[in-house]
Parts: sequence; structure tokens; C-alpha cells
Amino acid sequence: MEAIRKSDAVPAIDIRNVTKVYKVGSVEVNALRGVSLKIEQGEICCIVGRSGSGKSTLLNVMAGLEPVTSGEIVIANKHMERMTQSELIVFRQKHVGFIFQSFNLLPYYTAVENVAFPLSFRGVLPNKRNKLAREMLKEVGLESHMNHKPTQMSGGQQQRVGIARALVTNPDIVFADEPTGNLDSSTSDEVMHMIVDTLRKHNRTLVMVTHDPNMAEYADRVIHLLDGRIVKIENKQ
Amino acid sequence: MRFFDMLRTALLNLWRRKLRAFLTVLGMVIGTTSIVVMVSLGVGIRQATIDSYASIGSLTNITVMSYKWTESPDGMGGTSTEVRLDKKSVEAFKQLPGVVAVMPRIEAWGILKCGKYYADISILGIDSDVADKFGITLSEGEYPQYKGGTTYELVLGSQTLSNFYDPKTWKPAVDRDGNPKVTKDTRIQLTFDYNNMYGEGGYGTDGEAVQKGKLYRINPVGILDESNNDFSWYCLMDLEALKKLAKENSTFISIDTSKYQQVTVKCADAKSVKDVKDAIDAMGYGTNSLQDALDAAEKNMKQIQYLLGAIGGVSLLVAAIGIMNTMMMSIYERTKEIGIIKVLGCRMSNIAGLFLSEASFIGLFGGAAGIGLSYLLSGVLNKFIGDVGFKSIIPPYLAFGAVAFSILVALASGIYPALRAMRLSPLTAIRND
Repeated sequence: MEAIRKSDAVPAIDIRNVTKVYKVGSVEVNALRGVSLKIEQGEICCIVGRSGSGKSTLLNVMAGLEPVTSGEIVIANKHMERMTQSELIVFRQKHVGFIFQSFNLLPYYTAVENVAFPLSFRGVLPNKRNKLAREMLKEVGLESHMNHKPTQMSGGQQQRVGIARALVTNPDIVFADEPTGNLDSSTSDEVMHMIVDTLRKHNRTLVMVTHDPNMAEYADRVIHLLDGRIVKIENKQ
Repeated sequence: MRFFDMLRTALLNLWRRKLRAFLTVLGMVIGTTSIVVMVSLGVGIRQATIDSYASIGSLTNITVMSYKWTESPDGMGGTSTEVRLDKKSVEAFKQLPGVVAVMPRIEAWGILKCGKYYADISILGIDSDVADKFGITLSEGEYPQYKGGTTYELVLGSQTLSNFYDPKTWKPAVDRDGNPKVTKDTRIQLTFDYNNMYGEGGYGTDGEAVQKGKLYRINPVGILDESNNDFSWYCLMDLEALKKLAKENSTFISIDTSKYQQVTVKCADAKSVKDVKDAIDAMGYGTNSLQDALDAAEKNMKQIQYLLGAIGGVSLLVAAIGIMNTMMMSIYERTKEIGIIKVLGCRMSNIAGLFLSEASFIGLFGGAAGIGLSYLLSGVLNKFIGDVGFKSIIPPYLAFGAVAFSILVALASGIYPALRAMRLSPLTAIRND
């Protein structure tokens, strides 16, 4: 697998000199000041930094949730910065999964329904999407909680549902925004294992943002961000 | 996202906020009900008007006259021109599409004599083949025929027998109980000459006094139906028989039997009246029908209906604002959720579709329940206002139209909230608060 990653000529994500400026009132805040980064298919990449370092902004622009001020982001040979909102949504449907810090499960749906929900946006019929959702939940070890609602599950279990939901659509890239931020340390380890194992098994790319140095241990590469610039890249291999 | 999934999700979203959804639907129920009940009264008034016109005479009849009134361009006066109305015209009218029957109308005036009693009558010449089509109905007997000879068949008007009187004393020919002394079975004669009444002797017999008008023997074959407003005061005689009598008595009554003053045309239904009337107008004849008056009345009725509908519409407008408010509230509440489904790949059009479906459901439920309530209210109303001359009527088109309209109104009020939801940033999903 190592060999495949290294020989892969086209990177999964190619970020070229991206800047992002927020306007807060009349003050301009430079969240990103020229970030260039290549992430390869199947890589587990972790972005760390203090709060305000621009790590969340970097994740958001990569996922197309907000536009860049300048620079280019190329994923799967497509320029994200040139796409409209609608195109970005279609793009996310095809290529991207998302794991949130606060799980963001829909409270009135069961685990299966939550996992099946993104499939409904893709027009998958109920029977098929529930079957896929069940398979995915089995993979994350929740076969006993299929029909539980989020409020009947622990934080770790909820985040596993979140992982299943991110992976059920077979995305090339999974973005995770502080996936263990709301979990205690032992559950965090459990969940991180789960995420990393599952992604490696399917050869998916993971871009994860965290401020927890322990979580960075799971990554192939750790990118340190400070004041909107990359200050250090650690290769863990 | 499949359409069915969208509807299901929208329904679920409504169900999650049962009370609020219920209250919003209630607003629509009241709005729909107020429109439907108001319009139903308008429909009822219209129906009552049509019925009252129909009771005056048949709405499918057209009266054709030999005189045509042409209004002068300034509208201050006009000229009337005579057109020949005769057998040929009758045949021409019969050929028009939508015409069921045509009957020329010849009227004459005569005196019936029975012993010392006399009665003045108007005689209408009819065609017994088509008489029933014109609503000439008898309470007993049969239509008059002309079989030749000197005896003429006559149908008496509903009141003719009570109208006999003694010209010398002016006393009506009734007994103490008010029953007419002259009956159908008495020997009755007909004359067109008033001298027979007041002339010397006064009791002339058949063929007496050459200078006096002839007395004809009458065979009363029937009596007209009293409820028939158009004809009940006439006596009826066969058209050809009456023409013959008129010719013979031209000294006393001057009727040109070679042409008609009036022809009545019967149409297949109320819809064809206008076309037939226009066609006859184009031939140069003067026409009129009750339908004209009804059309004018209906124009007024439309205005009443619009007014009633507008009054009812106010509450629907309020309900529509209620829907908009509810939808906006739910968007503010669900900002994060909308962000999440955007990140998860829900298309913009699907997001708009979700909210529009929710609004449509409110409209559908409100409209359907509103129709139910309207029928109930209409029934109650009819029980209490039964005697004012009109009823609240909800025809099927009004019921279906009202549901469709309330869905449409709900959809319209969902447009702005749906656009707002579309524009929400997916970033709200990332924020942790």
C-alpha cells in the first residue's frame, strides 16, 4: 500500500498557494496566508495547530464549504474554487464524506436512517440504502444499535454512526473536523482506531483537523499550522 | 433525491412539530372554509335566480318577432323594420342546429257562448305535434286537432269555465258554492262578433242573422294546466283551424294569416340558445329570450360572487402569512440541520423542494379539512336560513378548486422561506455551539 501511495502521480488533493481573508466589520482577518499542500490518495493526514491557526478554515475550503480568496484547490482534477454552490454539492455527493465534532446526527432518525440519509440525496431507493446502511453499521461495530436513536447512544456510539454515515457513500476523501473533540480519551482512542482502520481498509484519504497531539499519532503525516501558514510537516512513516 | 423521499421527509418534519403544524393547518382550514362558504352562498343565490327565471318561462325558448328594433348609433332611439315571418321562416328555423321545435304563434280573440252566459277568451293556435315541447301542458284531456267539418276542438284555459258571466246582469256564472255553472260537457259555441252578445234577441241560434258573426260549435277536448304561467290563460285551438276561422271572420278580427307576428323556437339546451339566437338575428328577425335577462342578472351575480370570495379571501391571506411565518421560524430553528444536509450532499433544489413540500402539505391538509368543515357549515346554514330563498351550495368544482387553491396559496407562501433555506451556508453545520 505504501508503494501504491508513493507511486501515485496525481495527488488526491492539490492545494496551491491558497489564501483566505475574512472581513469582520471593517477589519480584515487573514485566516490563510498562502498554503500549498499535496495530499495523496489513501493518505491519513492530520492538520494540527492552535485555535485561530486557520486549520478549520483550511478544512472548510478543501471541502468546498467556503470559497477561497485566492489560490487553487484541485481535487480529482476539478478546480474547487471555480465551482458554484450547486456544483460543490454535487461534487460532495460523489467524492466527499464528512465527520463532525458534535456528530450532527439527526435526532429523530434511528442509526440506520441516519446512515442511509446521505444515500437518499443520491436517489438510492429505501430498501437498498437501508441495506447498505446496515452493512456499514456492522463494520463500525454497531449491529446491536441499528434502530436506536442518537439520544439512546453514547458519544462514542454516536460518532461511530457518524463514521458510518461518512463512509456509506463510498467517498474518495473523508474530512473530519475534530472527530474526537466531544469524547473522553479512552473513547477517543477507540473511535480513532475505528476511523483509521476502516479508511485504510478501503484505501480512502482522510484529512483530519485536531488540536489534540495524541490524535496526530494515528496519521501518516502531520501538518502544523500557525497563523495561516504551514510551519512544519512531520512524516510519521 | 427521489420525489417520494422528499414528500416523506417533509411530512416527517411537519410531524416533528405537531402543535405548530396543527395551528398553521388550522389557519388554512379557516381560510379555506371562509372562502368556500362565502362562494357557496354566491352559488346558491345564482341558482335561486336561475330557478326563478326558469319558473317564469322556459329558458330554452326564443321568441322571434317580425319586427326588428335597430338602435340608432347615438343610443337615443331607433327604428323598427318589418321582416316577413311566415311558413318559410319556420322551416328555416327548424334547420338551425340546436333547434328542437318551432311553433308559430297566432292569437285571436273570441267569445264563448253557453246559454245566456258568455266568456271572453284569447285563443292560441298551436301545433299539437310540438305543443308538449313548449311546456303547454294540460291538466286533463288532449291537444286540439282539426278534423275538418264545422265542429272545432278547443282546449279551455285553466280559468275559462269560471269566467262565464251573464252580460245583462254582469253576474258570474257560478253557483252558491262558487263552482262554475258551465262545464266541459255543456254545449258551448264560439263567435268572434260582439253583436252576438248584445244584439237583438241576444240568444241567436246557429246561422241566424246574416250580418252577425257566425257561431261555431266547440268541442272542449281538454283543460290547460293551471301552473303553466306562459299559457294557462289561453284557450288552445289547432293552428290551421284558427287560421281558417280568422279568414272567415276577417270582418271582426283582422289577422293576416299569411304571416306570423311571432314564432317561438325551442332549443335543445340553455347553452345552444345563444348560437340559435345569433343565427336568427343574422337572418334579420327580432329576437328575445329569457336567457338575455338571465345573462344580465348573471353578470350582477358574478360581481356578488367576487365580492363574497374576496371577503372570504382575507382570512386565507392571513392564513398564508401564517404559513410563511411558520416556515421562517422552522428555518431559523433548523439552520444547523440544513447546513448538515448540505454538507451531506443534499442538492439546493432538494432543499427548496423539502420546504415547498412542507408548505404544500399544510395547504393540502388545510384545504381538505376546510372542505369538510365547509360542507358541515353549509349544512347547518341551510337548516337555519332555509326560508330566505337561497341555499348554500358547494358544487364539486368549488370543493376541488378550493383544495387546489389552498395548496397553491401555501406553495406561494413557501417560496420565500424555501429560497432562504437554499441560501443558508453549509458552514453552520461545522460550528459547534
